[in-house]
Amino acid sequence: MRSRLLPLLVISLASTILVAQSTPQSPEPEPSIKSMLDRIQQLEKRISELEDHERKEAVAQTGRSNSQAVTESNPVQVSAVPTQALHSEHAASTTEVREAEIHYPSLQIRGFGDVDFSATDRKGSVSGFDLGQFVLHFASPLSEKVSYFAEVSFTAQPTAYEVNLERNIIRYDYNDYFKMSFGKYHTPISYWNTAFHHGAWLQTTINRPEMVKFGGTDIPIHFVGLQAEGNIPSGSLGLGYNLGLGNGRSSNFAKAGDSGDVNNNRAWLANLYARPAQLYGFQFGGSFYRDKLTPQAGTNFDEWIASANLVWNKQRPELLAEYANVHHRDLQTSQTFNTTNYYAQLAYRLPWQENKWKPYYRFEYIHRPKVEPVWDFAGTASVVDLVGSLVGVRYDITNYAAFKGEYRNFRLGAGEPRVNGAFFQTAFTF
Amino acid sequence: MKAHWKPACGVLLLGWMCLCCLETAAAQSHDVDVALVVHPDAPVSNLTLAEVRKVFLGERQYWSATVPVVLLIRAPVARERNVVLKIIYQMSESQFKQYWIAKIFRAESASAPKVVYSNDMANELVTAIPGAIAFIDTREVRPGSKVIRVDGRLPGEAGYPLR
Repeated sequence: MRSRLLPLLVISLASTILVAQSTPQSPEPEPSIKSMLDRIQQLEKRISELEDHERKEAVAQTGRSNSQAVTESNPVQVSAVPTQALHSEHAASTTEVREAEIHYPSLQIRGFGDVDFSATDRKGSVSGFDLGQFVLHFASPLSEKVSYFAEVSFTAQPTAYEVNLERNIIRYDYNDYFKMSFGKYHTPISYWNTAFHHGAWLQTTINRPEMVKFGGTDIPIHFVGLQAEGNIPSGSLGLGYNLGLGNGRSSNFAKAGDSGDVNNNRAWLANLYARPAQLYGFQFGGSFYRDKLTPQAGTNFDEWIASANLVWNKQRPELLAEYANVHHRDLQTSQTFNTTNYYAQLAYRLPWQENKWKPYYRFEYIHRPKVEPVWDFAGTASVVDLVGSLVGVRYDITNYAAFKGEYRNFRLGAGEPRVNGAFFQTAFTF
Repeated sequence: MKAHWKPACGVLLLGWMCLCCLETAAAQSHDVDVALVVHPDAPVSNLTLAEVRKVFLGERQYWSATVPVVLLIRAPVARERNVVLKIIYQMSESQFKQYWIAKIFRAESASAPKVVYSNDMANELVTAIPGAIAFIDTREVRPGSKVIRVDGRLPGEAGYPLR
């Protein structure tokens, strides 16, 4: 008998184990347990709420019976008990609603900072630490349809900190298709320029590509004026637009005309992009920018910038590619000058170690004619021939801070030696 | 000896049945649909999953010219939030946080979604705040709430995408 029961026991045990193992395992066991715990907490909360409710009902009933009994002697005092009990629950939910509602103005401040280290084998370069930019961002809805945004940067200089008002925008929303704003923007003719702004923590790499570098001259980074933006009814194509009219470049071509239009000629821009609904994370677009530049008194140039971008921002992978052609035409001689800029960046957030690691690679290229009167007359430093690559890794130490390490190899001009460099950064938001 | 083996087999059989029942119950609890509930006055009753994504990404911010969208999202660890992150945003918790910091920093949105701490609170706020939209466990949706169709389907119907 024993020998017949033993196989039965073994089979039963084995089947129990097999059933337990063959049951599909949750791909994320931890969240599933957490969600069950959360559910238990919710149920406990619900039970306590119901118990409270019952208790209040009992109090109210007692109050009512008491009030019936003593109405003639002291009606006001007794009726206060049920009223208080009934109102307390309503008051709690009213408080929740009041807390959830937006109050105007409702100022939110966020800061960004970074600390960097760099070392290159370029002749005459110095290695060491620097503080990068300290950036404060202010956002404040002023009403349901009016909001204000500002961005202030503090950049370390040898003798002092340079303070700049980077963005200063007031926006009026009519609906999703038409939003009108006034102020100082990051010019929406480059994806990078409007996606990452001044917080180094927001971008994958340590620095921006050269073509959209702060203080660079290739494309105007800032734009002062007015802008209309919104979605275009286009179904699953997800079209959107930006139209801008403003002062254009200042007398220092790296800056916007904050204090006025230097040559009394407005610049304009048009940007069109698509975010197809079926390809979540994919975006492509193109823009035009038009201005008239006066690098020297009596010398005028037309400036046309045409740009295009292609973006896949899902992080697995992350692909950013942009192209911009800066075209200048001498209005007296009709001579034209074209500067070509592009970069392509590929990154991939690794699935291990809580998705903290993100290796990346970028190639960038800038070519401008040897003689480019706009930059030469203005005496503005600009990159002549950049060919460079960088490879690095970003490690997100928390949700709000990251370490980045990069190796770069680049050449700044034809015939110049290639430069190798190591760069490190810790970037954070607070 | 025979008397000892019989109860042992019974206990094992019972254990095996309990295990099967528990697994089934857990699977059922995991598969409960999450309803998309809007304020009764919101002029919307059917959205595609892509449109829901557009709303929750902050790319569609108005139901109509006079009614702004108010996003309500459960606090971390709640199952409804996990469903939203997995199916709508397709992001991890940290990516979601970074997404909204960047969105506000770009001046594309004045505020991030409001956090609600229970389905009761979600029920309360979605009926009180004009333009509000929330994800609520189907079993806890209050009677009379405006549940909208996603891809033409209501919670509980075959092919409903939010579970």
